[in-house]
Amino acid sequence: MEAYDVAVIGGGILGCFAARNVRRWNLSVALLEAAEDVCTGITRANSAVVYAGYDNKPGSRKAEMTVRGNGNYESLCRELEVPFCRCGSLLVTYDGASLPKLQKKLSEGLKNGVPGLRLLTGAEAQAMEPMLRPGVAGALYAPSTGTVNPWLLGIAAFENAVENGATAYRNTAVTDIEKTDTGYLLKTNRGPIPCRTVINCAGLFADRVQELLFPRSTRLHWDGAEYLVLDKAAPKPRMVLFHQASSCGKGITAVPCVEGNLLISGVRKEIETPFATTPEGLRELHRAAKALLPELDLNQVIRSFAAVRPNPYREGGQSLHDFCIENPGPGFYSLIGIKTPGLTCAEELGRYVAQEAAAFLKAQPNPDFNPHRHAIPKSDDSKIVCQCQGITRSEILEAIRRGASTVDGIKRRLGSGMGPCQGSRCAFAIETILEGYRNGTL
Amino acid sequence: MEHYDLLVIGGGAAGIAAATAACGAGCASVAIVDRKPTLGGVLLQCTHRGFGNNLTGIEYARQLLKDLPPEVTLIFNTTVLSVEDTRVAHLSGGRRLSFSQLILATGCREIPMGALPIAGTRPKGVYTAGQMQEMMNLHGFVPEGPAVILGSGDLGLILANQLAQVGIPATLVEKQAHCGGLTRNRKCLGDSHVRLICGQTVTEVSGQKKLEACHLSGGDWIVCKTLLLAVGLRPERTLVSHLGNPIWLHLCGNCNTVHPMVEGVLSEAIQAGQTAWETMREHG
Repeated sequence: MEAYDVAVIGGGILGCFAARNVRRWNLSVALLEAAEDVCTGITRANSAVVYAGYDNKPGSRKAEMTVRGNGNYESLCRELEVPFCRCGSLLVTYDGASLPKLQKKLSEGLKNGVPGLRLLTGAEAQAMEPMLRPGVAGALYAPSTGTVNPWLLGIAAFENAVENGATAYRNTAVTDIEKTDTGYLLKTNRGPIPCRTVINCAGLFADRVQELLFPRSTRLHWDGAEYLVLDKAAPKPRMVLFHQASSCGKGITAVPCVEGNLLISGVRKEIETPFATTPEGLRELHRAAKALLPELDLNQVIRSFAAVRPNPYREGGQSLHDFCIENPGPGFYSLIGIKTPGLTCAEELGRYVAQEAAAFLKAQPNPDFNPHRHAIPKSDDSKIVCQCQGITRSEILEAIRRGASTVDGIKRRLGSGMGPCQGSRCAFAIETILEGYRNGTL
Repeated sequence: MEHYDLLVIGGGAAGIAAATAACGAGCASVAIVDRKPTLGGVLLQCTHRGFGNNLTGIEYARQLLKDLPPEVTLIFNTTVLSVEDTRVAHLSGGRRLSFSQLILATGCREIPMGALPIAGTRPKGVYTAGQMQEMMNLHGFVPEGPAVILGSGDLGLILANQLAQVGIPATLVEKQAHCGGLTRNRKCLGDSHVRLICGQTVTEVSGQKKLEACHLSGGDWIVCKTLLLAVGLRPERTLVSHLGNPIWLHLCGNCNTVHPMVEGVLSEAIQAGQTAWETMREHG
C-alpha cells in the first residue's frame, strides 16, 4: 500500500474537519474511525453552542480561534448546507456578588474582540427573555453566540472531505503505531496503514493513541455531562442561557436548538459509569432548570442522556485551559482534550493542523478543492416513515447511500426518531429499509 | 384544489366508524387519509381476543370495514403534515385538500423512555409496549428474554400474556399497590413465566450497548434483556393544537380521550360523524 501523506485518527467532528482541511492541500489523506460511523463519540453529545469567545484568556489560542471561528460560522454553514442560528446568549446571575465576574468576562471578551458584548441590568435581561425567573441581578449579553447541530456539521465536513478525495476507513481501530523511515505505520484491526504524517483526533482516547508511540505527556480525565431534550412544542427561551453554578444549585445551559427543541445541560465532575445519567443527577438538572426557567414544562422532556467530555491534565495534575495541540514527533500532531469550545473552533483547528502537516510536507495548495457540500434534499415522496419529524423513505435511502449503516446513523443525518415518540413508531421500519438495502431486495 | 365535504384523518376504528356514520347520515363526499397502506390502525396489531364479541383486533377491523361505503375515498401511505384554519390540509407528497368538516381520528401515542425519569445508560432493548406489539404481531419479531414490563395496565398485561405464550419470562412492575387493567387481561398472572411486583417502579437501567438490568425503586436490580414501557398513552392531536376549537373540527376516539374499550371509541366516532354532517348542512 502506498503511504498516505496524512492519516487522521478519529472521525469525530475534529477529525472530519482535519481531513477536509488537509484536502485544501495537494495531500492524500486517510480518515480512520474505530466505530461503524463518524461523529458517534463526544460529537454526538454536545451542548450545540457556538461560543462568542468571552470565556477565554486574552491572547490565548483558544480566545483567538473562538472569536474567528464564531465569526466565520455563517459562511461555513452555508458552504456545508447545515442550519445555523445566531440567536445570542445571556450569562445570567441572580447573585449581586457575582457581578464583578461578569464585568471581568466583559472586559476580557472585549479584548478578545467579541462583537456587541455588553452588560445588562436584571430588568433588561428579563425584558429580552421573559421566561427567566424574576430577580436577575445582571447578565452578560453576547449577540454573536449561536447554535448548530454538532453531528450534522461533522458529518457534512466528512462528506465534503470524501467528495474532495479523502479515503475513509470505518470500523478501523488503531492498535499500535510504529515510526518508519518515511513516517509512521499505523497498525489497525484491518491491517497496517502507512503514512507520512499523523493527525491524532481520537477524542476521549487521544492521550492513549499518542502513548502508543510516545511517552506520556497529557492525560485525559473524563468529565460527565447530563442532558434533557424538550419537545419542539414546549415554550422555550429565544437565546442560549448560561446560569453559573452558585449557592442555589448547579450551573446549567439552556439551548434553543436549530431543530426547535430546547436542550438543557449540566456538567458533572465525578462520574461512576460513563454515558450513564444518575437519578440524583437528573433530579438536580430538573431542579436547576426550574430554578432558571420556572415556566418550563418538564412534562415535555422527550429524552435524557449523559455524555463524557475529555478534560486534559498535565502529568502532575495541572489542568490545561488552552487548546492542547502537541507535536511529540516529526509530522505527528495530537489534539488532546479539545473540549469547549471545540465545536466553535472545529474548522479553525482543522485548518491549523492541516497547515502544520502541509508545512512539514512542503505541500502546495490544492486548486481543485471544492468547499461546498449539498444537504440531503427534502423529497416530495408521500411515504413518510418518521411521522414526528416528517422524514420520507427517499430521504432515508439517500442517507444510506451517503454512508449511514444503522438506525442511529440515519437519525444523525436526518433527525428521524428525534420527535416526541422517540423512534417508537419508526425505528423498526427504518431497520427494515436498512436490511432491504443491504440485501439488495429494495 | 381537490375538495371533500368531510376529511377524516386516521383510518383506525374511530376513523372508519366516523366516516361510515357520516355517509349513513347523508354525506356524499368523504375521504380518509392514513399513513399506512391499509385501514384498521392499531387494531391490526392486536392478536388477542379483546374486541366486541371475543374477536381479535384484526377480525374486528374486518367487521367494521363491511359497513364502510365503497364511495369513501381512501388515501393511503400519506401523512397529513398540517391543517390550516382556512380548512386546507397539506399532505405528504405535496398534495393539498380543502374540506368543509374535519374529523380527527389520529389515536394516541405512547410515552417513550426519554419522557420518563429513568436514569442510566441508553442501551438497545428498550421499547414501548405498542411498538413491541407491532413488531411481534405484524413482523414476527421475537424479543430477547427475560423481560421487564413497566406498567400493569391492559397493554402491559396483554404483552406479558403474549411473552408467556412463547416462553419468555416477564416481570411486571406496577407503581400502584395493585395490578391495573381489566380482569379478563389478568389471567396471565397465573402463568409461571409472569411475576408481578407492585408498589415499585423502574428508576435506572444499565448496559452500555445492550440492556443488562433494570433497577427498581425498592433497591433491587432485575437482570433483563428487554424493557417494555406500558406507562400510558397521550392523545395525538398535535395537528390541530394551533386551531382552537372551530365549529368544523371534530375529535373522536383515542385522540380525544383514551378509551379502555373499543366500544367507547365507536360510540364517540359515530357521534362525531353525525355531528360533522349536521354542522355541514347548517353551516357549510
